[in-house]
Amino acid sequence: MKILIADDDPVSRRLLEKTLLLAGYDVVAVPNGMAAAEQLCKQDGPRLALLDWEMPELDGPAVCPEVRKKKDQGYVYMVLLTSKGLKTDIVTGLGSGADDYLTKPFDSGELKARLRTGQRILHLEGRLVEARENMRFKATHDSLTSLFNRGVIMELLGREISRSRRERVPTAILLCDVDHFKNINDTHGHLIGDEVLQEAARRLLLSVRSYDYVGRYGGEEFLIILNNCDPVSAPRRAEEIRRSLSDTTIQTSVGPLLVTMSMGVHQTENWGVRTVDELLHEVDSAMYAAKAAGRNRISFTKPDIPSDADHVVPIEAEKSFR
Amino acid sequence: MNVATPSVLNITDLLSRVDNDRELVSELFFIFKSVFPSHLQRLTDAVANELSKQVETESHTLKGMLLNLSAARAAAIAADLENMGREKRIAAMRGALTEFQSEAETLLSQMESLEFPQ
Repeated sequence: MKILIADDDPVSRRLLEKTLLLAGYDVVAVPNGMAAAEQLCKQDGPRLALLDWEMPELDGPAVCPEVRKKKDQGYVYMVLLTSKGLKTDIVTGLGSGADDYLTKPFDSGELKARLRTGQRILHLEGRLVEARENMRFKATHDSLTSLFNRGVIMELLGREISRSRRERVPTAILLCDVDHFKNINDTHGHLIGDEVLQEAARRLLLSVRSYDYVGRYGGEEFLIILNNCDPVSAPRRAEEIRRSLSDTTIQTSVGPLLVTMSMGVHQTENWGVRTVDELLHEVDSAMYAAKAAGRNRISFTKPDIPSDADHVVPIEAEKSFR
Repeated sequence: MNVATPSVLNITDLLSRVDNDRELVSELFFIFKSVFPSHLQRLTDAVANELSKQVETESHTLKGMLLNLSAARAAAIAADLENMGREKRIAAMRGALTEFQSEAETLLSQMESLEFPQ
């Protein structure tokens, strides 16, 4: 584990450095408080620190609040080293944000034991952060496909439409529905249906850019948002996404299955005054038009909408794209 | 090996604190001898110029260094000087500085007399 030693006294610094190197730590040693704060505020800086109390520029108790100000990084466990022995000094030191203190000259056994305590705290914090992140993931992602869940993809859609309106940049909304999914479930069972959905989700995710969004909209429906997707690119990209599923069979527990999807696409930067629900209704209609036209194809809504328009008419036949 | 008088330099205590690492002790002595003259000079100047805050700071640094080297007597005088600086007892500082200089001389010669590998 990486540990920082900050001490202007070279004797003490070397003594600590050698003791901690022998104890297996990866040591970073600095001679003043400014350098200590700089190291500890780095994103990948040490999470364990031994700070001398009296140092030039910035003393140990002044380093602590500087480090605590940084809220976007993991907890830093800081131990003050001091030859001050007064209770008031100790109270001041701990009040500044330090976690512990050690009196000089330190006993190496006590030093190592106290650092192990710090490591336990950091380990515990790591587990809590991990648990929080797991909960956050579960709350925002679909448990079967690991894509964004419906609530999140809808929120992202609202945000992207607003951004598209504000910045006048085109955005494409793609609503995809796996064809004949009920047949897959009825023929092979729900577990195979799940395998199909998982693989479909994986392929959709791989076929978009890192800043596009893919979410599970419903049972076998997926919603994709392509940011900054111009009118020329949108059909091509939608086709690439459709083919990501249909071009290669999905390997399932009962063997390879050829799976296709139908897609409704709405692409513009001129969204009018319609709500997200209204837009979704339109793209849903386009998707059903693709189904009606024979499935495994794409259908577009009318691409250009006057700014004061309050509706859109899906164009199916002439815009069908396969 | 000539073991120093514990009151000046408690080598047994120092070795026990570094897991008997004689090479490290030698390195610490070397570092101390390199930096000590400049610290002593700054302390002497601060006392001469009656700069009590500087006396306090320099004495504190020296105290920490000496405690780490198990030089308890010199560390105790440095602690006295630190208190004098904090309490602005200018007159008392001069006598304590003389005592500290004498103690430091003994300490440095004891360090020299120890036969550790370099």
